[in-house]
Amino acid sequence: MQDSLSLDLVDTFAAIILLTDFMLVASGRMRSLTRLFAIQSLALGGLAAVVAFETKAENIYIIAVLSVALKAIVIPRFIDYTTEKIQVKKEVEPLIKIPGSLLICAALALLAYYVTEPIMDLGTAITGNCLAISFATVLIGLFLMVSRRKAITEAIGLLVVENGVFLAAIAMTYSMPMIVELGVFFDVFVGVVIMVVFAFRINRTFDSIDATSLRGLKD
Amino acid sequence: MLIEVLQMLLILAIAPLVTGLIRKFKAFFQGRQGPSMLQPYRDLAKLFRKDSVVSKDTSWIFMAAPYVCMTAVITAALMVPFFTSTSANFLGDLIVVVYLFGMMRFFLALSGLDAGSSFGGMGSSREMTVSVLVEPTILLSIFTMALITGTTVLGQISESLATSGLDLVRPALFLAFAAFFISTLAENARVPVDNPATHLELTMIHEAMILEHSGKQLALMEWSSMTKLVLYMALMANIFFPWGIAIEISAVAIGIGLLAVLIKIFLFALAIAVIESSMAKMRLFRLPNLLTVSFTLSLLAVVSFYIL
Repeated sequence: MQDSLSLDLVDTFAAIILLTDFMLVASGRMRSLTRLFAIQSLALGGLAAVVAFETKAENIYIIAVLSVALKAIVIPRFIDYTTEKIQVKKEVEPLIKIPGSLLICAALALLAYYVTEPIMDLGTAITGNCLAISFATVLIGLFLMVSRRKAITEAIGLLVVENGVFLAAIAMTYSMPMIVELGVFFDVFVGVVIMVVFAFRINRTFDSIDATSLRGLKD
Repeated sequence: MLIEVLQMLLILAIAPLVTGLIRKFKAFFQGRQGPSMLQPYRDLAKLFRKDSVVSKDTSWIFMAAPYVCMTAVITAALMVPFFTSTSANFLGDLIVVVYLFGMMRFFLALSGLDAGSSFGGMGSSREMTVSVLVEPTILLSIFTMALITGTTVLGQISESLATSGLDLVRPALFLAFAAFFISTLAENARVPVDNPATHLELTMIHEAMILEHSGKQLALMEWSSMTKLVLYMALMANIFFPWGIAIEISAVAIGIGLLAVLIKIFLFALAIAVIESSMAKMRLFRLPNLLTVSFTLSLLAVVSFYIL
Protein backbone atom coordinates (compact mmCIF):
# COMPACT_ATOMS: atom_id res chain seq x y z
CA MET A 1 0.00 0.00 0.00
CA GLN A 2 2.85 2.34 0.66
CA ASP A 3 4.23 4.08 -2.33
CA SER A 4 7.71 5.39 -2.12
CA LEU A 5 6.81 9.06 -2.59
CA SER A 6 4.89 9.37 0.67
CA LEU A 7 7.57 7.34 2.41
CA ASP A 8 10.15 9.80 1.12
CA LEU A 9 8.00 12.69 2.28
CA VAL A 10 7.62 11.20 5.75
CA ASP A 11 11.38 10.67 5.91
CA THR A 12 12.06 14.21 4.79
CA PHE A 13 9.68 15.73 7.34
CA ALA A 14 11.17 13.54 10.05
CA ALA A 15 14.65 14.72 9.07
CA ILE A 16 13.48 18.34 9.22
CA ILE A 17 12.12 17.71 12.72
CA LEU A 18 15.44 16.23 13.83
CA LEU A 19 17.31 19.09 12.21
CA THR A 20 15.18 21.72 13.96
CA ASP A 21 15.83 19.93 17.26
CA PHE A 22 19.51 20.55 16.82
CA MET A 23 19.05 24.07 15.56
CA LEU A 24 16.99 24.81 18.67
CA VAL A 25 19.92 23.65 20.75
CA ALA A 26 22.39 25.65 18.66
CA SER A 27 20.49 28.92 18.45
CA GLY A 28 21.40 31.67 20.85
CA ARG A 29 18.48 34.04 20.37
CA MET A 30 14.98 33.95 21.77
CA ARG A 31 13.45 35.00 18.45
CA SER A 32 15.02 32.18 16.49
CA LEU A 33 13.87 29.70 19.16
CA THR A 34 10.21 30.45 18.55
CA ARG A 35 10.75 30.58 14.81
CA LEU A 36 12.46 27.18 14.81
CA PHE A 37 9.72 25.75 16.97
CA ALA A 38 7.19 27.02 14.41
CA ILE A 39 9.12 25.33 11.59
CA GLN A 40 9.26 22.11 13.54
CA SER A 41 5.49 22.19 14.15
CA LEU A 42 4.94 22.92 10.48
CA ALA A 43 7.01 19.86 9.51
CA LEU A 44 5.06 17.82 12.06
CA GLY A 45 1.78 18.99 10.54
CA GLY A 46 3.07 18.09 7.09
CA LEU A 47 4.08 14.64 8.31
CA ALA A 48 0.65 14.13 9.87
CA ALA A 49 -1.02 15.18 6.61
CA VAL A 50 1.05 12.67 4.62
CA VAL A 51 0.15 9.93 7.11
CA ALA A 52 -3.52 10.93 6.85
CA PHE A 53 -3.34 10.72 3.07
CA GLU A 54 -1.62 7.37 3.21
CA THR A 55 -3.93 5.75 5.76
CA LYS A 56 -7.07 7.58 4.57
CA ALA A 57 -7.97 8.52 8.11
CA GLU A 58 -9.79 11.84 8.05
CA ASN A 59 -9.30 12.63 11.70
CA ILE A 60 -5.55 12.94 11.23
CA TYR A 61 -6.16 15.75 8.72
CA ILE A 62 -7.97 17.71 11.41
CA ILE A 63 -5.12 17.07 13.82
CA ALA A 64 -2.58 18.17 11.21
CA VAL A 65 -4.44 21.42 10.59
CA LEU A 66 -4.85 22.04 14.30
CA SER A 67 -1.18 21.31 14.90
CA VAL A 68 -0.12 23.83 12.27
CA ALA A 69 -2.60 26.48 13.37
CA LEU A 70 -1.90 26.20 17.05
CA LYS A 71 1.74 25.26 17.32
CA ALA A 72 3.14 26.88 14.22
CA ILE A 73 1.20 30.16 14.40
CA VAL A 74 -0.62 30.92 17.65
CA ILE A 75 1.82 29.71 20.30
CA PRO A 76 5.02 31.14 18.73
CA ARG A 77 3.33 34.50 18.24
CA PHE A 78 2.06 34.45 21.77
CA ILE A 79 5.52 33.72 23.14
CA ASP A 80 7.09 36.41 20.94
CA TYR A 81 4.49 38.90 22.13
CA THR A 82 5.23 38.11 25.76
CA THR A 83 9.01 38.25 25.41
CA GLU A 84 8.63 41.65 23.82
CA LYS A 85 6.28 42.81 26.52
CA ILE A 86 8.41 41.81 29.49
CA GLN A 87 11.54 42.91 27.64
CA VAL A 88 13.81 40.03 28.51
CA LYS A 89 17.27 40.00 27.07
CA LYS A 90 17.44 38.47 23.62
CA GLU A 91 20.14 35.95 24.48
CA VAL A 92 19.22 32.44 25.54
CA GLU A 93 21.81 32.04 28.33
CA PRO A 94 22.41 28.31 28.32
CA LEU A 95 23.84 26.68 31.43
CA ILE A 96 25.94 24.41 29.22
CA LYS A 97 27.83 26.06 26.35
CA ILE A 98 26.46 25.51 22.89
CA PRO A 99 29.14 23.15 21.48
CA GLY A 100 28.85 20.98 24.59
CA SER A 101 25.06 21.02 24.34
CA LEU A 102 25.23 19.96 20.71
CA LEU A 103 27.52 17.06 21.45
CA ILE A 104 25.29 15.94 24.34
CA CYS A 105 22.26 16.11 22.06
CA ALA A 106 24.06 14.11 19.38
CA ALA A 107 24.72 11.49 22.05
CA LEU A 108 21.03 11.64 23.03
CA ALA A 109 20.03 11.07 19.41
CA LEU A 110 22.31 8.06 19.22
CA LEU A 111 20.85 6.79 22.50
CA ALA A 112 17.33 7.21 21.12
CA TYR A 113 18.30 5.22 18.06
CA TYR A 114 19.92 2.51 20.17
CA VAL A 115 16.88 2.21 22.45
CA THR A 116 14.29 2.08 19.70
CA GLU A 117 16.17 -0.18 17.32
CA PRO A 118 14.78 -3.47 18.72
CA ILE A 119 11.23 -2.10 18.56
CA MET A 120 11.54 -0.75 15.04
CA ASP A 121 11.91 -4.19 13.53
CA LEU A 122 8.59 -5.25 15.02
CA GLY A 123 6.61 -2.33 13.65
CA THR A 124 4.64 -2.50 10.45
CA ALA A 125 3.60 1.14 10.27
CA ILE A 126 4.98 3.12 7.33
CA THR A 127 6.17 5.71 9.77
CA GLY A 128 7.89 3.22 12.04
CA ASN A 129 11.20 4.91 11.23
CA CYS A 130 10.07 8.05 13.00
CA LEU A 131 10.07 6.39 16.39
CA ALA A 132 13.78 6.96 16.94
CA ILE A 133 13.40 10.58 15.91
CA SER A 134 10.43 11.09 18.22
CA PHE A 135 12.45 9.64 21.09
CA ALA A 136 15.35 11.90 20.22
CA THR A 137 12.98 14.88 20.11
CA VAL A 138 11.60 14.06 23.56
CA LEU A 139 15.10 13.67 25.01
CA ILE A 140 16.40 16.85 23.40
CA GLY A 141 13.31 18.74 24.59
CA LEU A 142 13.99 17.55 28.13
CA PHE A 143 17.61 18.60 27.75
CA LEU A 144 16.49 22.05 26.57
CA MET A 145 14.30 22.38 29.65
CA VAL A 146 17.13 21.40 31.98
CA SER A 147 19.95 23.34 30.42
CA ARG A 148 18.35 26.69 29.63
CA ARG A 149 18.00 29.33 32.25
CA LYS A 150 14.97 31.38 31.33
CA ALA A 151 11.40 30.42 32.09
CA ILE A 152 10.31 30.99 28.51
CA THR A 153 13.06 28.85 26.99
CA GLU A 154 12.00 26.12 29.41
CA ALA A 155 8.46 26.44 28.09
CA ILE A 156 9.83 25.92 24.58
CA GLY A 157 11.62 22.80 25.81
CA LEU A 158 8.29 21.47 27.05
CA LEU A 159 6.67 22.21 23.70
CA VAL A 160 9.46 20.32 21.94
CA VAL A 161 8.83 17.35 24.24
CA GLU A 162 5.16 17.53 23.31
CA ASN A 163 6.08 17.55 19.60
CA GLY A 164 8.13 14.42 20.20
CA VAL A 165 5.24 12.65 21.92
CA PHE A 166 2.90 13.68 19.13
CA LEU A 167 5.35 12.31 16.55
CA ALA A 168 5.61 9.05 18.49
CA ALA A 169 1.81 8.77 18.56
CA ILE A 170 1.61 9.21 14.80
CA ALA A 171 4.56 6.95 14.13
CA MET A 172 3.34 4.03 16.20
CA THR A 173 -0.43 4.08 16.09
CA TYR A 174 -1.42 6.53 13.37
CA SER A 175 -2.39 8.93 16.14
CA MET A 176 -4.54 8.52 19.18
CA PRO A 177 -8.32 8.86 19.15
CA MET A 178 -9.54 12.28 18.13
CA ILE A 179 -10.83 13.26 21.54
CA VAL A 180 -7.50 12.47 23.18
CA GLU A 181 -5.60 14.52 20.62
CA LEU A 182 -7.95 17.45 21.06
CA GLY A 183 -7.53 17.18 24.80
CA VAL A 184 -3.75 17.21 24.42
CA PHE A 185 -3.87 20.26 22.17
CA PHE A 186 -6.03 22.08 24.63
CA ASP A 187 -3.73 21.05 27.46
CA VAL A 188 -0.68 22.30 25.63
CA PHE A 189 -2.29 25.58 24.80
CA VAL A 190 -3.50 26.17 28.33
CA GLY A 191 -0.11 25.02 29.58
CA VAL A 192 1.68 27.60 27.47
CA VAL A 193 -0.70 30.34 28.52
CA ILE A 194 -0.20 29.50 32.17
CA MET A 195 3.58 29.26 31.79
CA VAL A 196 3.83 32.54 29.98
CA VAL A 197 1.59 34.30 32.49
CA PHE A 198 3.71 32.71 35.19
CA ALA A 199 6.87 33.98 33.51
CA PHE A 200 5.24 37.38 33.42
CA ARG A 201 4.61 37.22 37.16
CA ILE A 202 8.11 35.92 37.90
CA ASN A 203 9.46 38.84 35.96
CA ARG A 204 7.39 41.31 37.94
CA THR A 205 8.40 39.88 41.27
CA PHE A 206 12.06 39.17 40.63
CA ASP A 207 12.84 41.59 37.78
CA SER A 208 14.10 38.69 35.70
CA ILE A 209 12.84 35.38 34.41
CA ASP A 210 16.00 33.59 35.32
CA ALA A 211 14.64 30.40 36.84
CA THR A 212 17.72 29.89 39.02
CA SER A 213 16.99 33.04 40.97
CA LEU A 214 13.72 31.50 42.09
CA ARG A 215 15.66 29.69 44.76
CA GLY A 216 16.34 32.92 46.59
CA LEU A 217 13.79 33.80 49.23
CA LYS A 218 11.92 37.02 49.04
CA ASP A 219 9.58 38.45 51.59
CA MET B 1 45.16 7.81 -17.58
CA LEU B 2 45.23 10.62 -20.12
CA ILE B 3 41.81 11.79 -19.05
CA GLU B 4 42.85 12.06 -15.39
CA VAL B 5 45.91 14.10 -16.28
CA LEU B 6 43.72 16.29 -18.45
CA GLN B 7 41.30 16.80 -15.57
CA MET B 8 44.15 17.64 -13.22
CA LEU B 9 45.64 20.18 -15.63
CA LEU B 10 42.24 21.77 -16.14
CA ILE B 11 41.65 22.07 -12.39
CA LEU B 12 45.07 23.69 -11.94
CA ALA B 13 44.42 26.02 -14.85
CA ILE B 14 41.02 27.31 -13.77
CA ALA B 15 41.86 27.62 -10.06
CA PRO B 16 43.02 31.28 -10.24
CA LEU B 17 40.05 32.08 -12.46
CA VAL B 18 37.60 30.82 -9.81
CA THR B 19 39.28 32.96 -7.16
CA GLY B 20 39.10 35.90 -9.54
CA LEU B 21 35.44 35.15 -10.16
CA ILE B 22 34.61 35.20 -6.46
CA ARG B 23 36.45 38.53 -6.10
CA LYS B 24 34.55 39.91 -9.08
CA PHE B 25 31.21 38.84 -7.58
CA LYS B 26 32.15 40.41 -4.25
CA ALA B 27 33.17 43.62 -6.00
CA PHE B 28 29.79 43.63 -7.75
CA PHE B 29 27.93 43.30 -4.44
CA GLN B 30 29.99 46.13 -2.98
CA GLY B 31 29.21 48.33 -5.96
CA ARG B 32 32.79 48.40 -7.20
CA GLN B 33 34.08 47.44 -10.57
CA GLY B 34 36.84 45.32 -9.10
CA PRO B 35 39.97 43.97 -10.74
CA SER B 36 39.75 41.78 -13.81
CA MET B 37 38.98 38.12 -13.30
CA LEU B 38 42.41 37.35 -14.72
CA GLN B 39 44.20 39.30 -11.98
CA PRO B 40 45.11 36.19 -9.92
CA TYR B 41 46.97 34.83 -12.99
CA ARG B 42 48.93 38.07 -13.25
CA ASP B 43 49.71 38.00 -9.52
CA LEU B 44 50.95 34.42 -9.73
CA ALA B 45 53.04 35.15 -12.83
CA LYS B 46 54.62 38.13 -11.13
CA LEU B 47 55.35 36.17 -7.95
CA PHE B 48 56.95 33.36 -9.95
CA ARG B 49 59.37 35.86 -11.51
CA LYS B 50 60.42 37.32 -8.16
CA ASP B 51 63.25 36.23 -5.90
CA SER B 52 62.31 34.80 -2.57
CA VAL B 53 63.58 36.05 0.74
CA VAL B 54 64.09 33.34 3.32
CA SER B 55 64.90 33.97 6.94
CA LYS B 56 68.21 32.42 7.99
CA ASP B 57 66.52 30.92 11.05
CA THR B 58 64.29 28.62 9.05
CA SER B 59 64.89 24.92 8.49
CA TRP B 60 64.32 22.84 5.38
CA ILE B 61 60.63 22.50 6.26
CA PHE B 62 60.04 26.12 5.37
CA MET B 63 61.38 25.59 1.85
CA ALA B 64 59.79 22.17 1.41
CA ALA B 65 56.30 23.14 2.56
CA PRO B 66 55.16 24.93 -0.63
CA TYR B 67 56.24 21.99 -2.76
CA VAL B 68 54.57 19.50 -0.43
CA CYS B 69 51.35 21.52 -0.53
CA MET B 70 51.41 21.75 -4.31
CA THR B 71 52.16 18.03 -4.68
CA ALA B 72 49.36 17.10 -2.31
CA VAL B 73 46.93 19.26 -4.27
CA ILE B 74 48.06 17.84 -7.62
CA THR B 75 47.70 14.26 -6.37
CA ALA B 76 44.25 15.05 -5.00
CA ALA B 77 43.32 16.66 -8.32
CA LEU B 78 44.13 13.38 -10.02
CA MET B 79 41.69 11.55 -7.76
CA VAL B 80 38.76 13.94 -7.54
CA PRO B 81 36.27 13.43 -10.35
CA PHE B 82 35.87 16.65 -12.32
CA PHE B 83 34.09 16.38 -15.65
CA THR B 84 34.12 12.60 -15.88
CA SER B 85 33.59 10.12 -13.09
CA THR B 86 36.73 8.24 -14.03
CA SER B 87 39.42 9.37 -11.69
CA ALA B 88 42.69 7.72 -10.81
CA ASN B 89 41.06 5.17 -8.56
CA PHE B 90 44.11 2.96 -8.25
CA LEU B 91 45.76 5.64 -6.15
CA GLY B 92 43.18 5.37 -3.42
CA ASP B 93 39.73 6.42 -2.37
CA LEU B 94 38.11 9.27 -0.50
CA ILE B 95 40.10 8.72 2.68
CA VAL B 96 43.34 9.33 0.79
CA VAL B 97 41.94 12.57 -0.61
CA VAL B 98 40.87 13.81 2.81
CA TYR B 99 44.27 13.02 4.28
CA LEU B 100 46.14 14.58 1.39
CA PHE B 101 44.43 17.77 2.46
CA GLY B 102 45.38 16.83 6.01
CA MET B 103 49.04 16.60 4.98
CA MET B 104 48.82 19.95 3.24
CA ARG B 105 47.37 21.52 6.37
CA PHE B 106 50.06 19.92 8.52
CA PHE B 107 52.92 21.29 6.43
CA LEU B 108 51.26 24.67 6.16
CA ALA B 109 51.05 24.83 9.95
CA LEU B 110 54.65 23.63 10.35
CA SER B 111 55.99 26.22 7.94
CA GLY B 112 54.01 28.87 9.79
CA LEU B 113 55.76 27.87 12.99
CA ASP B 114 59.17 27.41 11.37
CA ALA B 115 60.07 31.03 10.74
CA GLY B 116 59.50 31.77 14.40
CA SER B 117 57.38 34.87 13.87
CA SER B 118 54.60 35.29 16.36
CA PHE B 119 51.97 35.71 13.66
CA GLY B 120 52.93 32.46 12.00
CA GLY B 121 52.60 30.55 15.24
CA MET B 122 49.28 32.21 15.95
CA GLY B 123 47.99 31.30 12.51
CA SER B 124 49.16 27.70 12.86
CA SER B 125 47.54 27.25 16.24
CA ARG B 126 44.26 28.71 14.95
CA GLU B 127 44.34 26.57 11.82
CA MET B 128 44.77 23.46 13.95
CA THR B 129 41.95 24.54 16.29
CA VAL B 130 39.64 24.87 13.32
CA SER B 131 40.76 21.67 11.68
CA VAL B 132 40.09 19.57 14.78
CA LEU B 133 36.39 19.91 14.08
CA VAL B 134 36.53 20.29 10.32
CA GLU B 135 38.39 17.10 9.50
CA PRO B 136 35.94 14.65 11.15
CA THR B 137 33.08 16.63 9.64
CA ILE B 138 34.41 16.23 6.14
CA LEU B 139 35.12 12.55 6.65
CA LEU B 140 31.67 11.88 8.12
CA SER B 141 29.81 13.77 5.42
CA ILE B 142 31.67 11.97 2.63
CA PHE B 143 31.17 8.70 4.48
CA THR B 144 27.44 9.35 4.40
CA MET B 145 27.59 9.43 0.63
CA ALA B 146 29.76 6.31 0.68
CA LEU B 147 27.09 4.58 2.80
CA ILE B 148 24.31 5.63 0.47
CA THR B 149 26.10 4.44 -2.64
CA GLY B 150 27.98 1.53 -1.08
CA THR B 151 31.49 2.44 -2.22
CA THR B 152 34.32 4.60 -0.96
CA VAL B 153 35.78 5.37 -4.38
CA LEU B 154 34.95 8.96 -5.25
CA GLY B 155 34.35 8.32 -8.94
CA GLN B 156 31.98 5.46 -8.25
CA ILE B 157 30.04 7.48 -5.69
CA SER B 158 29.23 10.14 -8.23
CA GLU B 159 28.63 7.55 -10.94
CA SER B 160 26.08 5.54 -8.98
CA LEU B 161 24.34 8.68 -7.77
CA ALA B 162 24.23 10.14 -11.26
CA THR B 163 22.89 7.02 -12.90
CA SER B 164 20.27 6.07 -10.34
CA GLY B 165 18.27 9.25 -10.72
CA LEU B 166 16.36 10.31 -7.62
CA ASP B 167 16.27 6.88 -6.00
CA LEU B 168 19.26 7.49 -3.79
CA VAL B 169 18.27 10.99 -2.76
CA ARG B 170 17.69 10.95 0.96
CA PRO B 171 17.48 13.52 3.73
CA ALA B 172 20.97 12.41 4.74
CA LEU B 173 22.31 13.85 1.50
CA PHE B 174 21.18 17.37 2.35
CA LEU B 175 22.42 17.18 5.93
CA ALA B 176 25.79 15.95 4.72
CA PHE B 177 25.92 18.65 2.07
CA ALA B 178 25.19 21.40 4.58
CA ALA B 179 27.95 20.07 6.83
CA PHE B 180 30.37 19.81 3.93
CA PHE B 181 29.60 23.32 2.76
CA ILE B 182 30.35 24.84 6.16
CA SER B 183 33.57 22.82 6.29
CA THR B 184 34.51 24.06 2.84
CA LEU B 185 34.22 27.64 4.04
CA ALA B 186 36.30 26.80 7.11
CA GLU B 187 38.96 24.82 5.26
CA ASN B 188 39.49 27.39 2.54
CA ALA B 189 39.76 30.36 4.86
CA ARG B 190 36.57 32.05 3.73
CA VAL B 191 34.21 34.28 5.72
CA PRO B 192 32.80 33.63 8.40
CA VAL B 193 35.84 31.64 9.54
CA ASP B 194 38.64 33.70 8.05
CA ASN B 195 38.78 36.69 5.76
CA PRO B 196 40.93 36.11 2.68
CA ALA B 197 40.94 39.80 1.79
CA THR B 198 42.69 41.23 4.83
CA HIS B 199 45.96 40.98 6.67
CA LEU B 200 44.56 42.09 10.00
CA GLU B 201 46.73 40.66 12.79
CA LEU B 202 43.95 39.80 15.16
CA THR B 203 41.80 37.84 12.77
CA MET B 204 43.88 36.21 10.09
CA ILE B 205 44.38 32.45 10.05
CA HIS B 206 45.53 31.32 6.64
CA GLU B 207 47.29 34.56 5.72
CA ALA B 208 49.24 34.46 8.99
CA MET B 209 50.76 31.11 8.13
CA ILE B 210 52.04 32.13 4.72
CA LEU B 211 53.17 35.56 5.88
CA GLU B 212 56.86 34.67 5.78
CA HIS B 213 56.79 33.16 2.31
CA SER B 214 57.74 35.21 -0.70
CA GLY B 215 58.44 34.86 -4.40
CA LYS B 216 58.04 31.41 -5.92
CA GLN B 217 57.18 29.80 -2.61
CA LEU B 218 54.39 32.28 -1.99
CA ALA B 219 53.10 31.74 -5.52
CA LEU B 220 53.01 27.98 -4.95
CA MET B 221 51.24 28.46 -1.62
CA GLU B 222 48.64 30.75 -3.15
CA TRP B 223 48.13 28.55 -6.16
CA SER B 224 47.76 25.42 -4.05
CA SER B 225 45.13 27.09 -1.86
CA MET B 226 43.24 28.30 -4.94
CA THR B 227 43.34 24.79 -6.34
CA LYS B 228 42.18 23.39 -3.03
CA LEU B 229 39.13 25.62 -3.18
CA VAL B 230 38.31 24.36 -6.68
CA LEU B 231 38.82 20.78 -5.50
CA TYR B 232 36.39 21.26 -2.63
CA MET B 233 33.89 22.77 -5.06
CA ALA B 234 34.39 19.84 -7.42
CA LEU B 235 33.84 17.44 -4.50
CA MET B 236 30.62 19.24 -3.58
CA ALA B 237 29.45 19.26 -7.19
CA ASN B 238 30.34 15.68 -8.01
CA ILE B 239 29.59 13.87 -4.79
CA PHE B 240 26.39 15.52 -3.70
CA PHE B 241 24.94 16.67 -7.04
CA PRO B 242 26.72 14.67 -9.72
CA TRP B 243 23.97 14.93 -12.32
CA GLY B 244 25.41 15.76 -15.71
CA ILE B 245 28.85 14.25 -15.10
CA ALA B 246 30.25 12.20 -17.98
CA ILE B 247 30.04 8.47 -17.26
CA GLU B 248 31.50 7.10 -20.48
CA ILE B 249 34.29 8.71 -22.41
CA SER B 250 32.92 10.27 -25.54
CA ALA B 251 33.18 13.77 -26.91
CA VAL B 252 29.51 14.60 -26.26
CA ALA B 253 29.44 13.20 -22.73
CA ILE B 254 32.63 15.01 -21.80
CA GLY B 255 31.32 18.23 -23.29
CA ILE B 256 28.14 18.00 -21.20
CA GLY B 257 30.12 16.99 -18.13
CA LEU B 258 32.48 19.93 -18.51
CA LEU B 259 29.60 22.35 -18.95
CA ALA B 260 27.75 20.90 -15.95
CA VAL B 261 30.72 21.08 -13.60
CA LEU B 262 31.62 24.60 -14.70
CA ILE B 263 28.05 25.78 -14.11
CA LYS B 264 28.04 24.16 -10.67
CA ILE B 265 31.37 25.79 -9.77
CA PHE B 266 30.04 29.11 -11.03
CA LEU B 267 27.02 28.72 -8.72
CA PHE B 268 29.19 27.75 -5.73
CA ALA B 269 31.41 30.78 -6.38
CA LEU B 270 28.29 32.95 -6.43
CA ALA B 271 27.07 31.36 -3.18
CA ILE B 272 30.42 31.99 -1.47
CA ALA B 273 30.44 35.59 -2.69
CA VAL B 274 26.89 36.13 -1.38
CA ILE B 275 27.84 34.69 2.01
CA GLU B 276 31.01 36.77 2.20
CA SER B 277 29.14 39.93 1.27
CA SER B 278 26.23 39.40 3.64
CA MET B 279 27.98 38.05 6.73
CA ALA B 280 30.61 39.42 9.03
CA LYS B 281 33.58 37.35 10.07
CA MET B 282 32.88 35.47 13.26
CA ARG B 283 34.83 36.05 16.43
CA LEU B 284 37.37 33.29 16.85
CA PHE B 285 35.79 32.16 20.11
CA ARG B 286 32.39 31.79 18.50
CA LEU B 287 33.81 29.60 15.74
CA PRO B 288 33.48 26.33 17.71
CA ASN B 289 29.70 26.91 17.77
CA LEU B 290 29.47 26.98 13.99
CA LEU B 291 31.91 24.13 13.54
CA THR B 292 30.17 21.95 16.11
CA VAL B 293 26.90 22.62 14.32
CA SER B 294 28.43 21.37 11.09
CA PHE B 295 29.95 18.39 12.88
CA THR B 296 26.60 17.49 14.43
CA LEU B 297 24.96 17.87 11.03
CA SER B 298 27.34 15.37 9.50
CA LEU B 299 26.88 13.03 12.45
CA LEU B 300 23.12 13.34 12.02
CA ALA B 301 23.54 12.54 8.34
CA VAL B 302 25.22 9.26 9.18
CA VAL B 303 22.70 8.50 11.95
CA SER B 304 19.72 9.35 9.78
CA PHE B 305 21.03 6.99 7.13
CA TYR B 306 20.47 4.19 9.63
CA ILE B 307 17.27 5.54 11.20
CA LEU B 308 15.36 6.48 8.08
